[in-house]
This record gives sequence, structure tokens and C-alpha cells, in this order.
Amino acid sequence: MPIDTRRSDDGHTLTIRVQGRFDFSTHQAFRDAYEHSDPSVKNYVIDLSDTTYLDSSALGMLLLLRDHAGGDSASVVIENCNGDVRRILSISNFEQLFSIR
Amino acid sequence: MKVLIAEDSDSDRLILATLVRRLGHQVVEVSDGIEAVARFSEFQPDIVLLDALMPRMDGMEAARQIKALAGERLVPLIFLTSLSDAGELARCLEAGGDDFLVKPYNRVILEAKINAFNRMRSMHHALSEQRDQIRRQNEQLLSEQKVARRVFDNVAHTGCLDAPNIRYHASPLSVFNGDVLFAAQRPGGGIVIFLGDFTGHGLPAAIGAMPVAEVFYGMAEKGFGAADILREINRKLCRILPTGMFCCGVMVEADGKQNALRAWNGGLPDGWLVRKNGERVAIPSRHLPLGVLAPDRFTASMDVLDALPGDRLVVMTDGFPESCDDQGRCFGEEGVRRVLAGLKAEEHPFDALTMHLRQFTGRPEPADDLTLCSLEVIAGSVQAESFEKSPESSLSGPGEWHCVYEIRERTLADFNPLPLLLHICMEVPGLRRRSGEIYTLLSELYNNALEHGVLELSSEWKSSAKGFSLYYQERKRRLTEIDGHYIRFSLSHESRPGAGRLRIRCEDSGRGFDIDVQGARSPAKTGPGNGYAGRGLEILKRMTKELTVHGPGNCVEIVYDWTFPDNALGAHDGSDSKREDK
Amino acid sequence: MNDKPHLDEEALAELQDVMEDEFDVLIQTYLEDSRTRIQSLRDALADADSDQFSKAAHSFKGSCVNIGAPRLGELCFDAEKLGKNDQLDQAPGVMTRIEKEFEDVAWRLQHFNQ
Repeated sequence: MPIDTRRSDDGHTLTIRVQGRFDFSTHQAFRDAYEHSDPSVKNYVIDLSDTTYLDSSALGMLLLLRDHAGGDSASVVIENCNGDVRRILSISNFEQLFSIR
Repeated sequence: MKVLIAEDSDSDRLILATLVRRLGHQVVEVSDGIEAVARFSEFQPDIVLLDALMPRMDGMEAARQIKALAGERLVPLIFLTSLSDAGELARCLEAGGDDFLVKPYNRVILEAKINAFNRMRSMHHALSEQRDQIRRQNEQLLSEQKVARRVFDNVAHTGCLDAPNIRYHASPLSVFNGDVLFAAQRPGGGIVIFLGDFTGHGLPAAIGAMPVAEVFYGMAEKGFGAADILREINRKLCRILPTGMFCCGVMVEADGKQNALRAWNGGLPDGWLVRKNGERVAIPSRHLPLGVLAPDRFTASMDVLDALPGDRLVVMTDGFPESCDDQGRCFGEEGVRRVLAGLKAEEHPFDALTMHLRQFTGRPEPADDLTLCSLEVIAGSVQAESFEKSPESSLSGPGEWHCVYEIRERTLADFNPLPLLLHICMEVPGLRRRSGEIYTLLSELYNNALEHGVLELSSEWKSSAKGFSLYYQERKRRLTEIDGHYIRFSLSHESRPGAGRLRIRCEDSGRGFDIDVQGARSPAKTGPGNGYAGRGLEILKRMTKELTVHGPGNCVEIVYDWTFPDNALGAHDGSDSKREDK
Repeated sequence: MNDKPHLDEEALAELQDVMEDEFDVLIQTYLEDSRTRIQSLRDALADADSDQFSKAAHSFKGSCVNIGAPRLGELCFDAEKLGKNDQLDQAPGVMTRIEKEFEDVAWRLQHFNQ
């Protein structure tokens, strides 16, 4: 699958790693990755190290995750994005909603 | 067989010649050494029977001269003698004789000796033939390897291995020891390095290396990331390599801007990142080698390592730790760790490793079957500058063109036109380094036309997770009912020196939509729960110079400008949003 | 001192078998060759050239044993040794025996098989 998940040792952080293209074709797998997660998960890390491309529907999916994680109080970090992905996130002002590093 | 008999006694010669003829051989008779040497060259006998004691030139001297004339050819030389002291017989052999025949002649012994020497002669002949054949084949192999090396160099040119921040040791014929080392600048800055070690040596390894080189340089030039390149190399090697042959490798990608290195190690010894502050981080092999796993099971996930300018990375093939001293002890990965742990301030790990290996092996040059490469992380702008020196020119490639591509009916459901359209745009060198952006433009235009134009799906559905799924279920369903629909792309490009303009017009057969409802909204302005969709056009608007919606909303046209050298090299980093917000 | 037979009949029979029609030619060749060799021995003795004497005796010995005249071959060997040891003072006696034995052998060969 193009999506892997990993729980931190204390169980509070869920890391979702997306491989290849992050677009509508991954929406089900992406949603499955967090929707049935343990309630003890408080922080989410979206690792985009291996994401080559991200389109506008992926932005929608990220917003849905943010909602799931508690909306404005959510702790969602997006990390390791490549230049093209970073640019799409910037254009859409996602820095204001997510912690991007 | 041809037998030369040299004997001064007429009666003895007569007996011997008759005996030999009766054995079925052709005979030439002479009666002294000078005649024997003279007739030898002309008659080319297979065996020479030579009396030791003859007038004018004795048998010893004739034997020496005949052996010299025969050169590499084996011509058995049998001395004829009446039994005398052992010293005299020994002298006959020293003079080049292979055996002797004692008077009185014995038919049976004579026949046995002639036959034995004939066997030896034909064996020698066969061996010489085989040796000559092996020699010819070896010469041919070497010259073929030289030619192959030139072909390989053309395919796998050295890329940017000569960049000032890269150092490496590789054997001049490394392609034939199975090692490959490639480095390429990425469009827009950054560098990718691949170090590979094919199982096996020689031709199979060299053949396997060719497609890897093509994939690596082809994809790196088009701006693909290391993970994509790895996946493609793996896919290709899976297809072409026989089971049991594969390629261990390390792929490293340095962005130079994000203060990070990404690395993937499949089967090579640990690579090391040596930070400026002396800290060392191992890059161990976490993956199977390339060419082993089927594409769907292959993972190209890369380790991300923080790295600042001045940090140095070293990678090596296993020939390095496997180098041995004269007692057969290996340097070992432990040796590598020890050297790096003992680095003095400012000492380059590459220098330290090569120096310690030299001391360990006691040889001035590292062996032929190892490759060692180091990369120093440098600031993004420096890397970009060296890229500007690359021979790519904005003047080559198509500058003025127009094309229309329309897909219709069922093809809308079955076919993704984006790679093809991207490919057309990538023929323009100035656009090549912006492949990510161009893909985004094409993809957002296409999805907008397909989902909202042709399929009349409403973004509003995407406001909940459930709706999101419904949206895509509905998308799938409606794609079965698209008779009479089309999406038409019209692309045109015009160029000026060092700059160009790409226009993309995307028109669909839908009824159109109200742009104010579907159109641009910034998620910053809309609260969560309200802004899950509608970002496509917003992205397009912010990435292009102009965005125009024609007609009832079923035709969107964008204008995208580029310049070269890329004065917007920073476009790929975070500072970009500031520029856009001005 | 030399109990070898004048002729080795067995060897001669074999030669006859090998040479077929040329057997007579061989005998004549041997006899002529031998006369030349005996003359060389005499010349060497007259010149007191022990090396030449020894070599001529050696060659003569070879053709004698090949033709099947072992006693004459043995006498030649005695002569060869005298030449090698530079004892030509004892050579005239051997020389006489060689000439006598050659006459005997020649007569026997010419009458061999008749």
C-alpha cells in the first residue's frame, strides 16, 4: 500500500507516511489510516518524505484529518515535504492550519 | 609424418630410412649437420633423427640450430648413437635432443618412439592452438571492454561527479567490477547520488548498469525525486536481471535548502553522515537490494537526516571494508567506524578513510573493486549556481508550438492524459525544472474539468469524511455515463531569449458552473468544516500569471511565464508564499 | 678377449626381412663404407691424431653393430677407447685385428644367405 502508519512507543503519536502521489486515489487508504486509530492518539504526523506530488483533493483530505483530530485544537504536523509539495501547501496557506516542518 | 634423417654412415642411413619408410612415413636423408639444417627449413619435418657424430657440423650443433629454427613449433629431435658413456648421452639432451636411439636399431623401439613423439607433437599442437585462441579471444575481450566502457561512459557520463563538494575513488574499469557511481544536479537545485554494486563482475554487471544509468540521469534531469528513481530502477532491474542477480545500492538526495539529506540503503555497508560538530549518524541498509522485490512490494522510503552546510556524507561499496592486509585480515566496517570516530577537527572523512586503508593494506592505491564517495552538504544557492553552469540551454528544444489534445467518451474514464501532456511540455528545456508545477497546473485543470464540468460533482459534498467517500464513489459511477462528453486541452508555447510563456486552455463539454460558487476561496479565510474543496482553482490562480474563465465556466485558460536562468529559483521553498502574497 | 660372434645371424635375418630387395645394396654399401672408415683409421694413426682416430672408430662401431658384425664392433670400441685415452702406441695391434676381422666379415657377408 502507498500508506504506512506507525505508533510512537507511548502510543500518543500516530505517523502516517504517504508514498508516491497523494491524490484522490489514496483517499480511502488515508482515511482508514487514522479513522480507526486508538483514542489515546493525540498527535498526528504526516510524513511526506516519499510523497512526490500532492493535489488539491489531498488538501481536502488533510483538512478532514485536522477535523478528526480536534479542529483548531488539533496537533497535526506535516513533515519532510519536497519542494513541489511544499509549494502547494504554501500557496494554499496551510501553514496557518498545520505545523509544517 | 615427415621425418628428416641425418646420418653420415651410408649403411646406417639406409637401414634407418628403410625402417622409417616401412612405418609409413615420408623421409628425407642427409649425411651431415649443415645439410640437415639446410633441408630442415624447406622440408619442415615433424621429427628429426640425428646422428651425434657427423663430419662438417656435428649433431649437437645441428640440434641447436634446428631448435632455433623451429621456434614455437615442437619438433622432436632424436639422437642416433652407438651406446657410449652416460655423459655423452646427457650432452645430446642438453643440446636440445628430446631422446636418443641406440645402435643397433630396433624396429619395435623405433616405432614406439616415433609414435610417442607424434602424440606429444599433436598434443602440443592442440595446446598451442587453444592457447592462441584464448589469447586472441582475450585480446578481443579487452578491446571490447574498452569499447563497451566508452559506450557506457556516453550513457553514464560522469554527471556532476566533478562538483566541488563531491569526492570519490572508483576504479577506471569500475563498470566491469560491478560498481557504478552516478551523480546529478536536480533542476531547481539539489543533488542526487547513486552508488551501486551489482552482484557478479564483468559483462553481466556492465549490462545491468546501463539501464540504471539511463533511468538515473533521465529521471534526475526531469526533476524526479530519489524515491521515484529508486522505484523505477528496481522495476527495471526486476524485469531484466536473472534471479540471483541484483544491485546493492545507496541513493542520497541533498536538497541544500531544507537542511536535510534523504538516504536509502539497500544492501551496501553503512553510510555515514559526519556532522561539522563531529557527530556521526549511520545510514544502515534497511532494504533489500534493487532488482529483488516486485514493484508492488518495493519500498523506496528514505531516511531523512538533518544536515547543515559543512556536514559530510560518505558511502562505500563492500570492497572497502573487505579490503585485506597481507595476512588476509579485513579492514571491516569496524575499521570504518574507528577511523570516523578518530577524525581530527576539519579532517575530511574521505581523506581519513583512504589514508587509513592505505596504511592497513600496505598498498599505495586502493584495490580495484571498491568505490568510496563523499558528499559535502553546501548551501542551496551554491548548488544552484553550479547547476547554472550545466550545458542545458534555454535556446535548444522547441520554443514555438501549439497543440490540441481532446479525449472523448469512454477514454475519459479509462485514460490519464496528464503524463502525455507533461511530456510534451517537458520538451521545452526551460520548463523541465518546473515539472512539478506544470503537472499541478495540468492536473488541477483536468480534475476541475472532469469532476465539476463533465461529471457535475459538487465540491460541497467533500465537507465531511463520509461525503468525501461518497464524492469519489459517485465520481466512479458517473464516469460510466459520459457519452458525448469531451475534455479538450489546447497548449501553446512561445519563447523569447531566456524566457517563455505557456498557455493552457482546458475546455469541457459540461454545462459550466457558477465560478463565484465554485471558485477561489482561501482556506485561511474559511474556517475548518467549510473549506474542504474549491482549492483547485485557487492553486491555479496563484501559480499562474493569469487565469481566465470563459463562457459559462466550462473553459479555463491560464498563462504561465518562465525565465531562464531561473530567477525564481526560490520558488520551491517556503519564501515563495511571501512573494505570492505581495 | 673378444668372444662375440663374427656375425649376428639373427640380426642379419631381420635386416634381410626389412630391406627385402635392397639387402644386397645394403651389404655393398656397408662394405664400401667400411673400407673408407678403415682408411680413415689408418690416416689418423699415421697422423698420430688420437681424437680423429677415436671418432672414426666410434662411427665404424655404429655401422658394424647395425649390420650385425658384433665382433668387429667390439674391436672398433677397443680402438675408440685407445684414441680417447691417447694410447695410440697400442693402436697398431688393434688396427691389424680390425683389418683381419673386416676381411673375415666381408667374406661372410658376401656369402651370407648363399
